[in-house]
Parts: sequence; C-alpha cells; structure tokens
Amino acid sequence: MKPAPFEYHAPVTVADAVGLLAEHGDEAKVLAGGQSLVPMLALRLARFGHLVDLNRVTELDGISRENGSLRIASMTRQAVVGDHPDVAKAVPLLAQATPLIGHFQIRNRGTLGGSIAHADPASEYPAVALALDARMEVAGTGGTRMVPASEFFVSTWTTSMETEELLTAVHFPVWEGRCGWAVEEVARRHGDFALVGAACGVRLGDDDAVEQAGVALFGVATTPFRAGAVEQALVGATAGADLAGIAREGLRDLEPTDDVHASADYRRRVSAVVVERALRRAIEEAARG
Amino acid sequence: MSPAGARFVGQSIKRREDPRLVSGHGRYIDDVVLPGMLHVAFLRSPVARGVITRLDVEAARQHPGVVAVFTGAEINQRCGPMHPTSQPPNPEAPHAPLRPMAEGDVRYVGDPVALVVAENRYVAEDACDLIELEVEPGPPVLDLEAALAEGAPVVHPEVGSNIAGAIPAMPDPELEQILASAPHVVTRTFRQQRQTNVPMETRGIVAQYDRYAGDLRVWASSQNIHEWRAYCARVAGLPENRVRAVMGDVGGGFGQKAFALREDAAVVVAAKELARPLKWIEDRQENLMAANSARHEQATVTMALDDDGHILAAKVHHVEDVGAHPPGGGGAGGGFVAMMFTGPYRIPRFGFSGTSVFTNTVGKAPYRGPWMMETVAREQMMDHVARELGIDPVELRRRNVVRQEDLPYQLPSGLVYDVVTPAENLEQATAMLDYEGFRAAQEEARAQGRYLGVGVGLYVEPSAVAFSVWATDQANIRIEPSGQVNVLMGVASHGHSLETTIPQVVADHLGCDIEDVVLQQGDTAVAPFGAGTGGSRSAVIAGGAAQQGATQLREKVLQIAGSLLEAAPEDLEIDRSVISVRGTPAKTLRLADVAAAAYLNTDVLPAGMEPGLEVVARYKPPAPFTWSNACHVCTCEIDVHTGIVKLLRYIVSEDCGVMINPMVVEGQIAGGVVQGIGGVLFEEVRYDADGNPLTTTFLDYLIPTAPEVPIIEYGHIETESNTLGGYKGMGEGGAIGSPPAVANAIADALAPLGVTVTDLPLGPSQVLALLHP
Amino acid sequence: MGDVVVTVRVNGEERKALVEPRLTLADFLRQECGLTGTHLACEHGVCGACTVLLDGRAVRSCLLFAVQAEGAEVTTVEGLTPADGSLSPVQEAFRDAHGLQCGFCTPGFIVSVTAFLQENPKPTDEEIRDALSGNLCRCTGYQGIIKAVRMAAGLEAAPA
Repeated sequence: MKPAPFEYHAPVTVADAVGLLAEHGDEAKVLAGGQSLVPMLALRLARFGHLVDLNRVTELDGISRENGSLRIASMTRQAVVGDHPDVAKAVPLLAQATPLIGHFQIRNRGTLGGSIAHADPASEYPAVALALDARMEVAGTGGTRMVPASEFFVSTWTTSMETEELLTAVHFPVWEGRCGWAVEEVARRHGDFALVGAACGVRLGDDDAVEQAGVALFGVATTPFRAGAVEQALVGATAGADLAGIAREGLRDLEPTDDVHASADYRRRVSAVVVERALRRAIEEAARG
Repeated sequence: MSPAGARFVGQSIKRREDPRLVSGHGRYIDDVVLPGMLHVAFLRSPVARGVITRLDVEAARQHPGVVAVFTGAEINQRCGPMHPTSQPPNPEAPHAPLRPMAEGDVRYVGDPVALVVAENRYVAEDACDLIELEVEPGPPVLDLEAALAEGAPVVHPEVGSNIAGAIPAMPDPELEQILASAPHVVTRTFRQQRQTNVPMETRGIVAQYDRYAGDLRVWASSQNIHEWRAYCARVAGLPENRVRAVMGDVGGGFGQKAFALREDAAVVVAAKELARPLKWIEDRQENLMAANSARHEQATVTMALDDDGHILAAKVHHVEDVGAHPPGGGGAGGGFVAMMFTGPYRIPRFGFSGTSVFTNTVGKAPYRGPWMMETVAREQMMDHVARELGIDPVELRRRNVVRQEDLPYQLPSGLVYDVVTPAENLEQATAMLDYEGFRAAQEEARAQGRYLGVGVGLYVEPSAVAFSVWATDQANIRIEPSGQVNVLMGVASHGHSLETTIPQVVADHLGCDIEDVVLQQGDTAVAPFGAGTGGSRSAVIAGGAAQQGATQLREKVLQIAGSLLEAAPEDLEIDRSVISVRGTPAKTLRLADVAAAAYLNTDVLPAGMEPGLEVVARYKPPAPFTWSNACHVCTCEIDVHTGIVKLLRYIVSEDCGVMINPMVVEGQIAGGVVQGIGGVLFEEVRYDADGNPLTTTFLDYLIPTAPEVPIIEYGHIETESNTLGGYKGMGEGGAIGSPPAVANAIADALAPLGVTVTDLPLGPSQVLALLHP
Repeated sequence: MGDVVVTVRVNGEERKALVEPRLTLADFLRQECGLTGTHLACEHGVCGACTVLLDGRAVRSCLLFAVQAEGAEVTTVEGLTPADGSLSPVQEAFRDAHGLQCGFCTPGFIVSVTAFLQENPKPTDEEIRDALSGNLCRCTGYQGIIKAVRMAAGLEAAPA
C-alpha cells in the first residue's frame, strides 16, 4: 500500500500555499496533519500530482481571542486544542470533543483545520463548529473571506471552498452566561468514528429555562446535521422537560445513512438517544453555574 | 513427571524471546534483505466472478524499474503440484483447481491476476496501475443458501457443483424415534459470520533460486517451515533436499500461516524463472481481502431431553463456506465438528450431517480452533434449552456434564475421554463469579431498568492431534563440547514462547541449568522434520519429544560421569549442569567435563559406548487426541438504547494438565478470548451483493482494543494427561469457549425483553435490531 | 521534481538520503536507516505498530513522508533501548508482565507507552486503557500490556 508519486511543496507562507493551489488546481492537495489524507493516498483511493504541505507555514499556528470569538489557526494540532486553557475556558465544547478524536498519536499530528476541511460527516469538530455557528476564515487568491459553518459543509469530504482556497482559521463564538456543554457519541470502539453523535451547548436564564441551544449531530448524514427543530423546541425548557420527546420530535425528518457499521434505522433511533443524553448533561452543567 | 525437585517446569520463567523483541531487534520476514533482491506486487481481480476478456501487461513491463510482469497463465504453466503435504491429491474428492493464479476467469475479489517484479514495492504498485484488465462480470455466489440453491451459478466449473464436501446423515431409526417422542425436543439454527485471523504481521516470503547450485532458499512468515520446504519443492519441481526453508521471528498466524497459500507458490515460480531473489510482503488490504476467511458456518441443532433436563439425543446439520480457493482446494471441517459436538456432556445418541460449499469469496484457511462451531452452537443451544425447560443454564450443564465417575467416557464418535475435568471447571468458574450473587444483582438491576447478563461456554479441546504429518515431533538434543545444550526441533514458535518453555523441560529432565539450553528452530537445514506450531500441539508433542530426548541424554551423561567418578549412575545427581555423587558433595563433574570425554578424550569412555553426546527422540502421543478443557464465564451489561455491550467480568477455569509455564498458558488463553470477543462484538468480513469486500482496512474490520476488554481472571486445575509430561495442549481453547460465553451473556441480558439470539455478530446495530424487529 | 535530499536526526545520529517525496517515514527508517524495529502492520494509520517519536511526540510513521521529517528528531524503539544491552524500564515491564508474544506490535507499544508515561507518570486505569487504544495487538488480549504499563508506572509490583 504505497502512494502514487507526487511532487512535494513545503511553502512557508499562506500566500505561497495559495499560489501553489491556484497554479496546480485539481492536481494539488493540501497536506495538514495527514491522518486522513495519507491513508487515502496509501490505499490509492486518491492521487494528486502535487502535495502542498502546510506544516512549515507558521502563520497557521496560534490561538487568540478576537471580538467575542476564539480564533484557532487551522494548523493548530488537535492535541494542543484539547489541552489549551483558553480553549477549555472559551469553547468548552471543543475541549470536550477533542479526547474523543481517535487516539493521542493521531491528535499529535491531526489539526483542527484539517479535520474541518476534510469534512468527514462522522467527525466531532465539524459538528461542534456547526452547533456553535463558527465562521471559517478562508484565504484565496483574492484575499480572505469568512464562511459561516452553515454554508461550509456541502457533502461527504466536500466543502464550499474553491480549489485554490485554504482554510486559515476557525472562529468559534464564545458564549457568556450560564452555559453547559456535552458531546455524546456512540462508537463501536474507543476512538472510532462515531456511529452517531451529538454536540450540544445550552445557555440557561436565571429562571433555569433554556434561552439558547446549539445542537448538531455527526455520523448521521453526508454533513454534520444542525438540529434546528430541536433547538427551537428547547427554548423555555427546563431540566425536567421531556428531553427524549423533544429529541425524537425534533429529529423526525432525519434520513440517516446506512453503512458497514450501522443501519439507517439504528442511526435514526440512536440519534434521539444521544441528543437526549447530551442535553441532559449540558443542562445539568449549566444549572450548576 | 519431572525428576524430584523440578526446577523450571511449573515456573513462570521470563521469556528468552523478549529482549530482542522489546528492543526492536526481532528478525521478521520484511527484515530479510538480500543483495539484488526485487519486490513483488500482485494485480488482483476487482470482480468476484467473471471472465477475463482483456489482460494487457505491456505498459507495465515497460515501466521504468520493472523487471518482469507475469500473467496468471505464465505462472500457472510453470507451477508444480501445490497441495499441502497433509492433503495428497485425491481425484475422487471435489476440489478447486490447484493453481496459484487466476487464468481465463476470476473467482473472488482479490484473485491474483498478474505478478509484477520491480526494484521496490512502490514501483511495483505503479506498474500494477498500468496493467489493463477487463473482466466480464457474472453473478457471484456469496452465501451458504445461495451456493446450495437450485440452478446456482457454479464457482468451479471443473467441480460441477458448489459442494466442496459432504457428510451424509447416517440412517438411525433409534435416534429419530427419540427425537420424535422425547418429552422435550428443541431445534435451533445458529449462524456465525465470516471472520479472518488478522495476525499483526501479514504474510510474506522471500525466495532465491540459484540456477547453478540447483537449490532454492525460501524465507517465510510461516507456522511450519517443513511444510514450506515440501510445498516450495513441489511447486518449483525441485527435490526436497535441494530446498531450504527458514523462518525468523513471525508476527502471529493463528492458522493463517499453517499452509503455504497461492501467492507463495506464485512467488517461488517467478523466483525460479528469474533466478533473482524476490520478496513479497502482503499489505494489510491484501491480508483482509485475499489471505483467508474462516468461521462462516451455520448449525441446525435438535436436542431431545427428559423432564429432568437430561439430554437424551442430539442431531446437527452443519453447513460451512470454504470460499473459492481453500488450501488444497478442499478441506472441509465438518468431520471435526461432528467429532466434538457432544463436547463435555453425556449425550448417548447423536447424529450428524454436513455440507461444505464453495463461494466466490476468499478461501477458508484454519483459524484458531477451526472446528469451534461445535462449541459455539452447542453452548448457545444449552442456554436456549435451559430457557425452554425453565432450568437455570448452569444447572442444566451440571446435570449433563461428564464427571470423574463417567471416565473413561466414550463419545458417540468413538473417541474416548480419559482424563477430563469439565465438571470441575464449571464449578470453579461459577464459584469465582459467585454465580448466585450475580443472579441476585442481575434481578436488582432489572428492577432499575438495567440489563445485565451472564453466559457460560464449557468445552473440551482436542489438542495435539496425532495423525498425519502432525502426529510426531522430534528433538535432536546435543551437548556441545563446552557443555552447552542445543535442542533442534521442527517447531515454529511464533508467539508461543517455545524458546523459553522447551528449555524449561530440557533443563528439568537433563539436569542442566536453563541458561545453558537453547532451542534452535525454524530452519530446515538445522531442524529435524516437524509439523510446526499450531493445533495446540506444542506442549504435548514438542514438549514430549524434548522430555524424552532429555531423559535419554541424561542417562548417557550419568553413565559417562559414573565411569569418570567411579560411582554407579544411580548414585549420581545432576543439578544446574553439575554432576555429583549423592552423599559425597566434594566429588563433582561439570557437564563440560562429560562432553570433553564424549568428544575430545574418547579413550576414557566406558567400553563399547558410542562417543558423542547427542540424542534423537521422536515422540508420538499415546492417543489420537489429548483432551484439555475449560469453562468460560462472561458477564455483561447492555445499554438497550444504543445496543452497546460492555463486558464486566471474564473468568476462565481451565485444565491443561501440567503447565510448563503458567504465565504462557494465561497469555495463550487471553489472546484467544479476545479473538472470540472480537468475533461476537466487532469482527465481520463483509461482502456487498456483487461480491465486493467491504472490510478491507482496519477502519472497517474491527478487532478489539484495550478499552474493550475486561481483565481476565484465571482458575487453574492441573490433572496430568497420559502423555509423557502430563501436558495437554490448550492454545486454541481461548478462542473456542469465548464466543458462546459472550453470546450467551448477551442473550441472557436481553431475554426478559423477549429477544432470542441465534446469529452472530452482535454489534450495536444487530442488538438494536433484535430489540426493535 | 523527483527525489529530494532529506536530513533527519534519528536516535541522535544525523541521517541523510536522497528520497522520493512519497517515501514514508516508516520506510525511510526501515530501508534507508536499516532500523527495522519499526514495523508496518497496516500502512493506513490504525494499528500503531509503526509508532515513533517525532520531536518527542508519538506519531504514526506510516502517515508521514520522510521529507516532512527534514530537520526533525526522530526516536525509534531502538533509540529507546539503552546502548549497553540492558532494557529500559518500560521494556523490562513488558517482559515482566508477559506483555508480548509474537512481538510484532511490541515496538509500537513500547514507543507509545514510553511517551505516555513521560506525560502522565501516574495514570489511572482508565487513562492507561485510553492511551493504549491506538495500538492493536492480536496475541496478548492486552492483559499483559495493561499490566506492563501499571508496572512501569509503579502502580503494581513486578513478579519476584
């Protein structure tokens, strides 16, 4: 299982990286952590004439607070995201999701941006981004633009970025107030891709009722799934609400995928279960705040 | 038994293998590098069944770095007979055509179509991409029912039907009478899914033919180096004594490397043709797709019982899938299933019939306990019967288990249990669990809406099969002039710790220090003919040969020493390589002194004694099988909303006779148990409706990892067998008792919800489907 | 473009070679450096047998290209082994606990566990299992491996 030949480029600036992508178009592919791309190259499921390695682009490193969001540059390693005190404080959902990603060896190389740009529908980070209405900072030949998460994920392994565009950072809104967070997933083995999972954030008012909720599922469709109906039904709900019912009702129209690991029926049933469990934990956490 | 004061047998001696393996200095097949060596890659069929309409290798041949490309036809026409030694050609038996590669048509996805030889594996794979292959697909046969259906496509036109073997039902009116009239008659069909062995090291071979010396050297990741020698000799058309086969360290096999398979033959043929050293290292995708499958079987069991739950009779119909190209072209396992089905219970009348079928999938090769469907079906059946009759499943087993007073016990198959202790295992394992305590906890949990379950797997293991090529093993034990001991054997330890356990046996029976004994294995130029390692044979047969040889050599040592010390041999003791006269500690000799007499100063030897200090001992166990037994008990909790099964406790009470090294015994049990857990909860070789394999990476074929396994608890009972050392083989047992223990635990947990379990696997999707049909 | 010169420090020694960009770090170590302790058991980043330390962090060397290791420090299982023929505490623990049988997965475990215990010297049982989850073993059923980590962490005594 050896990859097909390619030309290798290791640019040191974003501009150079974008230039290479523009020059080689479809024949070029960005190499970030490599934990998803390199297996595909080894299996010859994908081949590219040019690999553009981003690991030397220091501009793509760094975590900073900007205008009510936490900006995480795209080449930040998952291990760093998982351990960083600013992430734990400002975007707890990311801190909770990180240990569920693969194994520590994967997280030592895998990147936040790589996971988001790879857009595997069973991944945790895209769902977290969607649940929180994160914004993707995308650089192209014409400059930088911001893409809301709701427009970013198009289909399995497909984003709305153009061929010559590069994800340079993700901006996660920081929620203030009495908030609670939970990622709940069902995986066959520790660290496997989730069969189905939910990333939830809730904010409670002083009356302990939900004021805001962000709920996104992963592993159920060709992209992460924003459970808007569930979020709306949650407004005003308290810990004693029929969360199972809200979850089931809100997910009624979900048409999940079928694969070697789980049937569509399984995903349909268990989606409601993970949403309920995640909401329960998140609301309980928020109520303690 | 060991002479008085056994020092090493019975101790958990640390392994001699470990220092090189933990430091990365093991020598595995991919570590073999020869000057001028080239690398092989195979182009394989992407279609399960079809006619090859175009195979053009010219572009590949021209690719820079490519030395040769062979089509299947070019390899096949140069290949000699490729049957395993234990399966000589039998024109009467249906068998798949024995040829290394596809020719004219393809019969499973992964069927090798072309063989590329290049300067490295990267280039060889590039060349494979350049080969133009077109196949006109035909409808594949993929499962047991389809293979047997009227008008089904035939996998091998040469055979004419999809039946690879059949054991017809013997007419037995008495049996039928009991099944018709007994107070309780229960019938169930149990199904098991395709799995594969997944050794952590894939297959591999390096072959070097010297046209001028007229000899062939083969290095292989193998469980049986003499099998490789014989097979490669036949395939290459060379005399057996012009072939030398070598194994270094081998990264697991579990039966996948018991026989040389088609790619091995193809590489040898190509190596002979090119007279350049060739290396083929199977990659993981090939291994999961084209090495072998196993365990795809079903058994329909009927049991008749009286009102007290005593089994009066049983009948089984067994169907198994052997894929397209099992080694030897056939090799049905039904006979063993029939032989072992009654297992640890007294079942007075028994009937069996079975069918093995070809399918357009990868061929079936042995996998740890290849006959284990008898235990998988029988032990699940016991729980089904227990539920039907309203008897506790452990109690039902108690009422039927073979006890000491029943021994010797003759099975319906005619074999005799001489020394077995399944009843004792059952009691020990359930006591270790506190079975009653668990049942009480289970009830409490149910009241709280939590679903716990307990399952048992009780079995007898037929170890150390003593017929055909596996019946014997030989130890050449040699004391070198310096007094160091070399033990040369045709074993093929690949995780079995024989480099440690054989010296334990030899040291005890020869009297030398264990540090002074080295096992030499894995080279046909060095080792006497043997049958390698597998089939749970090593402790009994290799241990027996080592013990026999060591005992004989000790006698010679004492005769020489007695002559030198002027004492009678009976008055001498040997301890840690020092011979002394009992009662006169000052009079000693070292083993080196005896060796000097034997080799260097031969005039001092007793009159008429042949010089030298080497013994050849070939051992055959007294009975066709040496029985060991165990009881597995597993508890679980099921999250009925997600279908996830969590294993709580896992207990094994086992009896493998005298344990040479208890640590090694427990390690063997553990590995087998976790394979069985994998087989119930995680593993499946799956094909889609067109015969495309869906589980060709480790992301799809899931084997257990550390978080999924409970800590295994062991209970040991040691009742000596009638073999030379009192040993019993047990290496496969862990994988035999575990699937039904786990499946029964799941069924027990779900029973109050009206669920019955008969099919494996039981991943979360299947569990939820059972709960919501 | 073709071959690239790559310079990597491997086990403290500078190694230089002319390589194709697609040559994996695992193959570079095995073929160019002759360090065959790092094993390939899947080549798609799941089994962990190829684990090495890259600038001190445990990574899957089958998922890196040698050219990516330019200027970096790589430590393989051979580099974690004392030069005098003795064994490191983690290696001794694996031997004491019977944490290996065929040995093929073992180098990957040795490297992963060494890295893990450096970060987390007194782990809980759950943390141990979590840390082991990225390495596959087929022989031991993980029993001896879990025990080995506990012994190496001083949570359990080695047998006499």
